[in-house]
Amino acid sequence: MRSNFLIDRRTCLKGVGASLALPLLETMGWAESAKGKSFQPPVRLGFMYMPHGVIMDQFWPKNPESFLSAPPPALESLRPVLDRCLLMKGISGVPIAPFNGAPHALELSTWLTAALPDAATRNQINIAISADQIAANYVGALTSLPSLELATMPQTHKENQEGLNEGYYSHCSFRSPTQAVPAETNPRSVLNRLFGTSDKPGQVTATDPLDRKMLDLVIGGAKDLRRKLPQDDQHKLDEYLDSVRAVERRIAAIESRQKEAALEKAGVSSSKRHASDSQPIEIKIPEGDKRSDYMQVMCDLNVLAFQTDTTRVSTYIGSTPNGVSYPELGFKDEHHSQTHHNNEAEKVRKVAAITKFNIDQFAHMVNQMANLREGDGTLLDNCIMVWGSGLEDGNKHSRGNLPFIVAGKGGGSLHTGRFLPDTKGNQGDLLTTLLACAGVPLDRPIGIATKQITEMKAGI
Amino acid sequence: MTVPGIFSSGGIALTLFAFAIAAPPECLAEPADDRDFAALQANAQKSFKDEVTPFVTTYCLDCHGNKKSKGGLNFQPALKHPGDSASSKRWMQAFVNVSAHDMPPEEEDKQPTEEERQKFLDSIGQIKFLSPKDPGPFVIRRLTKVEYGNTLHGLFGVDPAVAQELPDEVFGEGYLNTLSPLQSEQYLAIANEVLDRILAPQDAPPTAVQQRLFGAEMPKPGTDIRAEAKKVARSLARNAYRRPPSEEELEVLLGVFDLGRANHLPYPSALRLMLKAVLVSPQFLYITPAKETGTGQTIVPLDDHQLASRLSYLLWATMPDAELSALADGGTLHEPTVLKAQVKRMLLDPRSRALFDGFGTQWLGLGDLQSKTFDTAKFPQMTSALRMAMVEEARLFFDSIVRENRSVVSFVDGDYTFLNGTLAALYGLEKTVTGPKMRRVTLTNANRGGILGMPGILATTSFPNRTSPVRRGVWVLEQVLGERVPPPPPNVPALEKQDQKKVANLTLRQRTELHRTNTVCANCHKILDPIGFGLENFDAIGRWRDQDDTGGAIDAAGELPGGKHFSSPRELKAIIAGRKDALARNLTEKLLAYALCRQLEGHDEIVVDRLMATVAKDGYRMQTVISEVVTSYPFLNRRIPETATSPSHAK
Repeated sequence: MRSNFLIDRRTCLKGVGASLALPLLETMGWAESAKGKSFQPPVRLGFMYMPHGVIMDQFWPKNPESFLSAPPPALESLRPVLDRCLLMKGISGVPIAPFNGAPHALELSTWLTAALPDAATRNQINIAISADQIAANYVGALTSLPSLELATMPQTHKENQEGLNEGYYSHCSFRSPTQAVPAETNPRSVLNRLFGTSDKPGQVTATDPLDRKMLDLVIGGAKDLRRKLPQDDQHKLDEYLDSVRAVERRIAAIESRQKEAALEKAGVSSSKRHASDSQPIEIKIPEGDKRSDYMQVMCDLNVLAFQTDTTRVSTYIGSTPNGVSYPELGFKDEHHSQTHHNNEAEKVRKVAAITKFNIDQFAHMVNQMANLREGDGTLLDNCIMVWGSGLEDGNKHSRGNLPFIVAGKGGGSLHTGRFLPDTKGNQGDLLTTLLACAGVPLDRPIGIATKQITEMKAGI
Repeated sequence: MTVPGIFSSGGIALTLFAFAIAAPPECLAEPADDRDFAALQANAQKSFKDEVTPFVTTYCLDCHGNKKSKGGLNFQPALKHPGDSASSKRWMQAFVNVSAHDMPPEEEDKQPTEEERQKFLDSIGQIKFLSPKDPGPFVIRRLTKVEYGNTLHGLFGVDPAVAQELPDEVFGEGYLNTLSPLQSEQYLAIANEVLDRILAPQDAPPTAVQQRLFGAEMPKPGTDIRAEAKKVARSLARNAYRRPPSEEELEVLLGVFDLGRANHLPYPSALRLMLKAVLVSPQFLYITPAKETGTGQTIVPLDDHQLASRLSYLLWATMPDAELSALADGGTLHEPTVLKAQVKRMLLDPRSRALFDGFGTQWLGLGDLQSKTFDTAKFPQMTSALRMAMVEEARLFFDSIVRENRSVVSFVDGDYTFLNGTLAALYGLEKTVTGPKMRRVTLTNANRGGILGMPGILATTSFPNRTSPVRRGVWVLEQVLGERVPPPPPNVPALEKQDQKKVANLTLRQRTELHRTNTVCANCHKILDPIGFGLENFDAIGRWRDQDDTGGAIDAAGELPGGKHFSSPRELKAIIAGRKDALARNLTEKLLAYALCRQLEGHDEIVVDRLMATVAKDGYRMQTVISEVVTSYPFLNRRIPETATSPSHAK
């Protein structure tokens, strides 16, 4: 956890939420669908990661029949929403040869790509665009942020295995095969990024009215520079141009939001909210460095971002495969060291506790979503929230049967409340299916995918 | 990964090799001048044809060629293009496995004789001469978070912490030179914050910084305001872009000024908008060349401005100062004598602590010490203050070797360190060293001194509640001697798989030694573990002890391949310190990779060979290592990639 997360006082955003966020704001793109016609909320797609696998017999339900009535211990906290969850046993990971010596770099970096790094250029980032970024490319232009990437720890882990670039240890989102997307680790900055506001009550970041035009001119200058540079440099400037355009869009969205907020304050009610929709949730940025508090506020921010339709795609690296420990659970051992448990009871117990801890944070997020009204249902009904790990069993580094939990009905596209004990498919198939359910058209399957897992879908 | 015998990083097998035979690989690699380079190349071609090709064809291709690629390894392309950087990785793998006798596999009928094996290994060491002379690319590089913060400080005097919200990142080898919307948003927000801090609000009298940047006085009525603004733009861009701006670039900035004026901004506010544009421009955020390269050029020297930036960000992690900029303007910076004099000057400047903060902490693995978990019940003294003192100790020690221009061997055998009261307790010196201030202390106990006996490093290579001889062994091999230790094979049974009752009474050493009863593990662990055992007298936070956690007496004796015995940390240190070439080469390679922000490959090995010759002649002095890196071919030149349609090494 970053050290500047230590926050001096308990802060509370009471009252700010209402003015900063207008759920399902038709900033861009949404206007057409909202006007006149019956309103279908968009599908949002979220991913949350834990490394090192799970204790299998505590994670998988005993059988499909007992799934809802007697869920396994790891899923206890998801009880209120189990009927909106879907578990598929049998999803295999990407085989990692020739990188057998780098199971932990690959468990994360293959998680959303379902592809291996390019072996010949392994010391650089060269893998594949990840599923979350594919979705962001498609729906990102409709919201003020194309996607939200969050992490609990700074992505600075350095460990060289199999000659792979260190970035593979701490990144799972790739905007292009060669561009790892950094994640935000400070909840206060996330808040600012989402809403142009700080957690000091009433404080809003003023946008300079000329910034967008200024950026236009700067973009023009960058294009001049681009023309004069060799090809590799041009790629770097393309990244620059792409990211600055995203900034322009975010400014536009924030300006529009602030205009709406001003109108609402002046008594002009917003046309964009359904009377039945819940108020935006409150964000309380905690003090101290308790891991559960920290992860919960990140989850809350994710909920708020989806609730207010600020973005429709999020990825939260709840933990990266390096020496993390969970003192809150009453032991100091590093997660990784315990996963090589060789069935010793004490270590198994600790791994199970760590897994449950991580799933509890995910449950904190999705249970909230299930309590927020949206349109005719709840926010969770319109989300696809995926929790998972890149290993099946950390003890053996096996990847034949990856643990995934899908929560949310994806706007009615997923057939939930079930445990599918004998799913045939790989992680590429799973990602392809999830994107299809989120309404993202694909011109080709993701990574090693060969098909969609149709039994997951509704109406089959 | 690199080719063995080249960066002497050929893995554990190479260690065996290096310890065991009379002429370690670093001695095989003789420095080569351009004159006899052709001869060496011809030689390498011959030995490739006579030794490597037949060996690979006979013993490897059945599984790693034709239609099979076991383990993802296929030698067919490497046989065709032996000098390609993609091939060098394969040669490295071949070297490691063949020298460890892992390959060809035991169960194969065809086995090379020892002589064949040795000749093959020797010839692989020559393949470097088949790589084309290539400085590598120098793709325009985004400033890291640290560099960006420092540069804002250099330009405007603001606290570098203004950049703290940017994502944390590592730089040097493995540096992620990418940019996402998140970072761009933050660049704009930080630019706003900086301008708010340094410029006066509208209608208030200008701040001193403002007068320096925008001119002391407002343009007089009647003067050409746009011409005045252009002067300001030129000076802002010269500093912020770290090179003279082109006319075209000035026009962009003036366009922003015009935008402000057209929207009725007063003159200072329009300049403010222009300065904001500077701070979000790629020329500020990236190190960009001052000159366009001509068509058809494939390898070009860095222009002096680019070189000034590369050098300044390497040693200071900030923008070039006035002296460097003036030399760049004068076009003399690239001259070796000028450059070397600048390195000397820069290393004596306090800003050079950036070399430890950026390179040193990464090299020594101290970056995570502050946040690393320790068992608080067992080590209640591992407070933030103690951790900070541990890092300070390493920093001051590193700094003393740089400033006093000591031999890099002192990193291992130095007989002094830096302590304060808190840290002195770990050394048992709490009676003589008191108070919070760090000071230089001469050590009389030769088990201490140098990085191998330094608490910060002993702690960072330990588990939260106990030492790890394996981690320490790997650390010494990889970070100190520059070997590459291969990861354990998949599904390897861990130590604890042993019958718990049977091992309950064993010391950690005795349990760790069980590794070596398994032949798969033994190959590596017979080298890793003894080094770790030699440091077992230091507990998980670096205190001396005579018994381990089980109460058993510490046995710090061991033997390294080649029959080198030791019985204490002091003797182990002496053996390691004796490998001067390996120590110096490792540090040189790590520093060069850090300076180039990329891994070393292909031709770089020959570059390092040459640097090593000079460094050895000069007594392995630290400043020589640094100035040789800075004046090396790949630091001074860059390769321009070929045209869009033909990516290099397309197959």
